[in-house]
Amino acid sequence: MALYNFKKIMVVPTAKDFIDVTLSKTQRKTPTVVHKHYQIHRIRHFYMRKVKFTQQNYHDRLTQILADFPKLDDIHPFYADLMNVLYDKDHYKLALGQLNIAKNLIDNVAKDYVRLMKYGDSLYRCKQLKRAALGRMCTILKRQKSSLEYLEQVRQHLSRLPSIDPNTRTLLLCGYPNVGKSSFINKVTRADVDVQPYAFTTKSLFVGHMDYRYLRWQVVDTPGILDHPLEERNTIEMQAITALAHLRAAVLYVMDVSEQCGHTLQEQLELFNSIRPLFANKPLIIVANKCDVKKISELSEENQKIFADLSAEGIPVIETSTLTEEGVMQVKTEACDQLLAHRVNTKMKGKKVHDVLNRLHLAMPAKRDEKERPPFIPEGAMMRRKAMEVDAPKRKLERDLELELGDDYILDLQKYWDLMNEDEKRDKIPEVWEGHNIADFIDPGIMKVSVREIPAIRTQQLNLCARCPYICSANDVTSLYLILISLLTLVAVLGMRGPCTSFSFDSRTLSCFFSRICLARMRISCISSSSLSSSESYSPARSFSSSSFSSSSSFCEGREKNKHTFRGQSLKGRNTFDKCLIPLFLH
Amino acid sequence: DHHERKRKKESREAHERSHKAKKMIGLKAKLYHKQRHAEKIQMKKTIKMHEQRKTKQKNDDKTPEGAVPAYLLDREGQSRAKVLSNMIKQKRKEKAGKWEVPLPKVRAQGETEVLKVIRTGKRQKKAWKRMVTKVCFVGDGFTRKPPKYERFIRPTGLRFKKAHVTHPELKATFCLPILGVKKNPSSPLYTSLGVITKGTVIEVNVSELGLVTQGGKVIWGKYAQVTNNPENDGCINAVLLV
Repeated sequence: MALYNFKKIMVVPTAKDFIDVTLSKTQRKTPTVVHKHYQIHRIRHFYMRKVKFTQQNYHDRLTQILADFPKLDDIHPFYADLMNVLYDKDHYKLALGQLNIAKNLIDNVAKDYVRLMKYGDSLYRCKQLKRAALGRMCTILKRQKSSLEYLEQVRQHLSRLPSIDPNTRTLLLCGYPNVGKSSFINKVTRADVDVQPYAFTTKSLFVGHMDYRYLRWQVVDTPGILDHPLEERNTIEMQAITALAHLRAAVLYVMDVSEQCGHTLQEQLELFNSIRPLFANKPLIIVANKCDVKKISELSEENQKIFADLSAEGIPVIETSTLTEEGVMQVKTEACDQLLAHRVNTKMKGKKVHDVLNRLHLAMPAKRDEKERPPFIPEGAMMRRKAMEVDAPKRKLERDLELELGDDYILDLQKYWDLMNEDEKRDKIPEVWEGHNIADFIDPGIMKVSVREIPAIRTQQLNLCARCPYICSANDVTSLYLILISLLTLVAVLGMRGPCTSFSFDSRTLSCFFSRICLARMRISCISSSSLSSSESYSPARSFSSSSFSSSSSFCEGREKNKHTFRGQSLKGRNTFDKCLIPLFLH
Repeated sequence: DHHERKRKKESREAHERSHKAKKMIGLKAKLYHKQRHAEKIQMKKTIKMHEQRKTKQKNDDKTPEGAVPAYLLDREGQSRAKVLSNMIKQKRKEKAGKWEVPLPKVRAQGETEVLKVIRTGKRQKKAWKRMVTKVCFVGDGFTRKPPKYERFIRPTGLRFKKAHVTHPELKATFCLPILGVKKNPSSPLYTSLGVITKGTVIEVNVSELGLVTQGGKVIWGKYAQVTNNPENDGCINAVLLV
């Protein structure tokens, strides 16, 4: 797809710069010293080299320009048409053609003069010939000044075109100027299009992206179209028409119910009918915008009839207001659904579908007895799904608070602190207390905590994390593996905090954990080795390493063979299993 | 933001330019200074033009041509001398009876310059062949003599068929095909060979220009004189004779 090449086009230099650069390059990159008394073939070679070098440079640069610029016949017709509208196809082709001619002329000049230089019998003659050759090449380029300028402008504009993918899912907004297309796209996507009260605020196509049903959608905003025949349309409107004509998208025709745009509903209907042929084969939705000012039901009889007619034809008419955001989501879902269905239908009618369909086969198991076996959905998932469908009242965010208070807002994170005494939340924490620096303070009492208590504290911490629902419900090998690694690293980190000699785990959590591992037939040895290697840096008790490793590996081997004995062991509480694992975790 | 940055960049330009001008050396510097000098002259002219209103200047329109201050009124003036010298020049031209050509005198080209000796033979002793080193013109139906016998070699690379001819009054230049070499001022040998050097009178095909005689016939051949050294420039530049 030629899409992104638009940004990679080389800069087109001006004629003067081009000439200056090439000539100075010739002067720098070719040998500069030649004397009269050199042998004539050497003199000739010297000057021929200069001529050929200059020709080569010009040729290369011009070829690159010609190759970089997109050929209107090779790119997607949408882009070809858009470029025609913006840059005039004829002018564009002419400019490139001129450059091509210039390139050929330069080649011919170089060829001629190199041929002539073979008959040069003096330094003066060869030098004059070289001068003539370079001069002619530069004159040829001077004549291309206007083409080069034009191409530079085209390149700059081209690199700023919005990157619209013509083949993907797209929603196209069209309608009169000032009806609310840009505000719609601002609401639905992250695009930041100018919204102003004057007509033709949007002067070119804009793209925004949004997500729906886990797919990426493009929303294209067009400049407004007025109602006159195709020949009289100006460049800005033609861009919108081009987009309508070439993009296979869902069309959202935006109408202004309140007639604030300056055009009556009748006129809008006229425009709709005149561009109707462009909507063939495209899912169409009428968006009745600005309904916060005036609803359809408040309109006069004939205007209401317009909408009734349109919906009678099968085109959904949806009332929206981009100010109050009502109906915007509805339009979005409706348009996306319609477009998806349309695309699927088109694909089904095509030939490529059968390649895929032939390979798919949905196997339904035959019932073997009367017992019902419905799919199992855990409670938590059901609850969460229900919560998603119903718009549960979100808790008030800090951001909402900030927007509310405006200038008065002060960020106060202390209100979230969880202290025993609620009144103490806002108290100022002193920096120095009783001669101690609070930030660096370590209670001497903590050193005197008995050795027996530390493991209890640590296990409490670990159990809290091991008990979390993720680990309990983890069933497959990889997640267990990951959890084991994280646990081990956590243990190692915790183990670092101070001297510790022994540890006990709540054997129940460990047992259920490891039983699952055994059941999944995981190779603990490799895990332990990897964990050991990763945590090699922490080792208050490095002497344990070798012994622990060997013991753990043997233990693991043993354990894989007799899981039943292990189970029996675990129920006893603190036991040899724990003791063996301690050095492992100590590391 | 963009406008602010642009304004600041423009104000810095003067400093950057002067820094560049001071630091540059070599050929680039020469070219740059030459260009800058031309720019400055233009700037000074425009400034002077703007200031014209403030200064008083001599008004040239009020004094008619040939007006002479009071103390010179009795003198006869120099106009007669001019007339005399013109008469003398006219007489000289009629005596010579030569054509009026743009380049009346041209440096004569010697044989060693125009013809190069080519040695041939088993021992490279024979030196009767000559190769033309200047640009030449050979007609359409030209075929070489058998190589063993040809004395003058006119290499293909030096054969030209077209000339860039300038019309002296219109000041326009056209690329016209050559019909033949009329006269080479250095030697009749060169004329017969078709050697084109500076000052050679050639005949060119002017049917492109669409000139018509008084009788209604279309002119299709005219003489032109070559004004450059074609072997140095790679092209033949000529001036149409009237």
